[in-house]
Amino acid sequence: MLNKTFLIAKREFLTRIKKKSFLIMTLVSPLLILLFYGLIFYFTVNKSIGEENKKIAIIDNAQLLKQDLENTKTISFHFELDQTEKLNDLLSESFGYYAVLKIEKNEAGEIIYQLLAKDQPSIGLVSTIEDKIEAKLKDEQLQQKGIDKALLSQINNTRVNIETKKLTDNGFEEGNAGLTTAIGFVGAILIYFFIFLYGVQVMRGVIEEKTNRIVEVIVSSVKPFELMMGKISGIALVGLTQFLIWVGLVAALSGPVSGLVMQLMDVNPSELSAMNQGAGAAGTENTSKFGSLLAGLSNLNIPLIVGLFTFYFIAGYLFYGALFAAIGSAVDNETDTQQFMFPVTMPLVFSFVLAQTIVIQDPNSTLSIWLSMIPFSSPIIMMVRLPFGIPPLQIFASMAFMIAGFVFTVWFAGRIYRIGILTYGKKPSYKEIFKWLFQKN
Amino acid sequence: MLIQINNVTKKYQNHTALSHINLDIPSGIIFGLLGPNGAGKTSLIRILTQITEADEGTIHLDGNLLNRTHVQAMGYLPEERGLYKKMQVADQLLYLAELKGIPNKEARQRLKYWVDKFEIKTWLGKKVEELSKGMQQKIQFIGTVLHEPKLIILDEPFSGFDPINAQILTEEILALKEKGATIIFSTHRMDSVELLCDKIALINLSEKVLDGAVPQLKEQYKKNQFEVQFEGQLNLNQDLFNLVTSEEKYGVQKISISTQTRISNREILNHLLQSNINLLSFKEELPSMEEIFIEAVKQKNNLHHAE
Repeated sequence: MLNKTFLIAKREFLTRIKKKSFLIMTLVSPLLILLFYGLIFYFTVNKSIGEENKKIAIIDNAQLLKQDLENTKTISFHFELDQTEKLNDLLSESFGYYAVLKIEKNEAGEIIYQLLAKDQPSIGLVSTIEDKIEAKLKDEQLQQKGIDKALLSQINNTRVNIETKKLTDNGFEEGNAGLTTAIGFVGAILIYFFIFLYGVQVMRGVIEEKTNRIVEVIVSSVKPFELMMGKISGIALVGLTQFLIWVGLVAALSGPVSGLVMQLMDVNPSELSAMNQGAGAAGTENTSKFGSLLAGLSNLNIPLIVGLFTFYFIAGYLFYGALFAAIGSAVDNETDTQQFMFPVTMPLVFSFVLAQTIVIQDPNSTLSIWLSMIPFSSPIIMMVRLPFGIPPLQIFASMAFMIAGFVFTVWFAGRIYRIGILTYGKKPSYKEIFKWLFQKN
Repeated sequence: MLIQINNVTKKYQNHTALSHINLDIPSGIIFGLLGPNGAGKTSLIRILTQITEADEGTIHLDGNLLNRTHVQAMGYLPEERGLYKKMQVADQLLYLAELKGIPNKEARQRLKYWVDKFEIKTWLGKKVEELSKGMQQKIQFIGTVLHEPKLIILDEPFSGFDPINAQILTEEILALKEKGATIIFSTHRMDSVELLCDKIALINLSEKVLDGAVPQLKEQYKKNQFEVQFEGQLNLNQDLFNLVTSEEKYGVQKISISTQTRISNREILNHLLQSNINLLSFKEELPSMEEIFIEAVKQKNNLHHAE
């Protein structure tokens, strides 16, 4: 039996690897992903690109700001005199103001701020202006109380940097919340995309064999279950190959690409190396962060993370891949898959969203623990929880549930598959598919 | 390969596909499995090929209960043809043989024979989708027999073949029989198999209607009807003969007569020649397979009603 499953897996693997689209996908898609995230990163770092410079006129009837307010990167402030009839003109093109900020004192002595603009100003803009004014007023009050500017800036530069240490067998060891979050998250994203991309490939492959009608010839030589397992494992090998190529590419390209990213970010490499050198000596805020980042990395249990990643990567794929195979067998063409795809992809998307929100905020909450036990969500959730440390008992329990889970879905899918591949015509209902489970061969 | 099908029944959710089928298929013959579409032929074939299982009954091959090891000894050409469209012809054929347990090296060796036979050397490197329908059919036939099965099951093998290729296929089927293979040949076009099949079984509405050797069935169902062509005036003895049809063309009379009782051809001719006619031809009208089928179904229904 294994021999035939192996033959089928071999064919799946070879025909897919030989395709031109495999080469293109393997080489081009990481570049696209890099470009995609690179752009997001670039825009996030250089916020100013997304915003245009805005000129804001301030009419300070309360004499609050003393004709002085510091400009920001994107906002420049200009003080104008109050001339009611000119208010509309200020917003016209000849002045070029985006908005007019009116500050007045009412009869009760309260100060009223009004931002007048042609369109609704964004919340971001309003809060930036609020912050600027608040800071200026605070400074003024402090100075009035006799604190001079130099002392003030010293006080303002107070920084707190909390080091995280977690309890391990060796006592408290240094960790790094930022880095662990990132590593867990990358693992979760990889598993999520792998299951989705290759699960759908399994489904398409099954539909293709069914519409080609080759399937009847094949199942006269091998059992449907062998065919299904061969297909799932062959496609898994394609995915793993692609993954390994990517790891190789990342290793080879990480140097030049990070250089490019830094160039885009206007970071001078010599500055960075200076920062690196200064990491030992406690100095500026940046260097101490960088130092703890490296220390955190060395204290992560890398073999455990890699081992469990591999396990959940494969087990999660098998779990969902079998379900995708069952969907493919039940329908004649891809348009009919929508209805059946939904219940399979929903838990996957659901756990991916929860991973980014609830689980990452509290990786050891009761909900997080339960989500990491259920095989539908555990491959993704475990990756996020893993770097924060999970008790061994929970790891074993989750793995046991995962194995039981994919044994069950493979059995479940096999029952549907054996009937589905030979059933043509009308799209079956859930009720019919349920009957297939217990139908005799 | 001797096949004994014993009381095989198969039910699907809403209907019975096969009910209590008994069939013996001797080794080394071409066996025709005939019946209209939906009669249960494909259901029976799928049970034989172990794609599905019978609900009741047993099947023995050469005296052994049907089991997974038999899969290697069978070649199956389904009614709905199919190949991997993107796969090269040679890879595809070798793959199918390997799935039947033939090592790659040996499969390559055997492929040479068929490559020469069908002159397909130039196709081997092509993808299946680049071939014409007829070529694909040939490839699929090679895929069915490349592992040299002892039992070859062909479901509607001639559909989609042009007359020339159908002739080639017929020759190949006969050659495989010569080499000792048992061939089961399923079709709803009953007349197409009369010349090819040694024995047949007729299936209708999940039940076996009749089975036997083709000449014997014809003998059994013949209506003692004869076609006579002649010139001149014939006085037909009304006590012995019924005139079924008659027509005249360019002075030649063509009539169809049936006899009341079974009498020898010699006697019939004697009677005919008593008239002053110039006899041009005389032959017995044997029933076609289709006529036998209709007759057998009728008889079976009458039997049911009588019960």
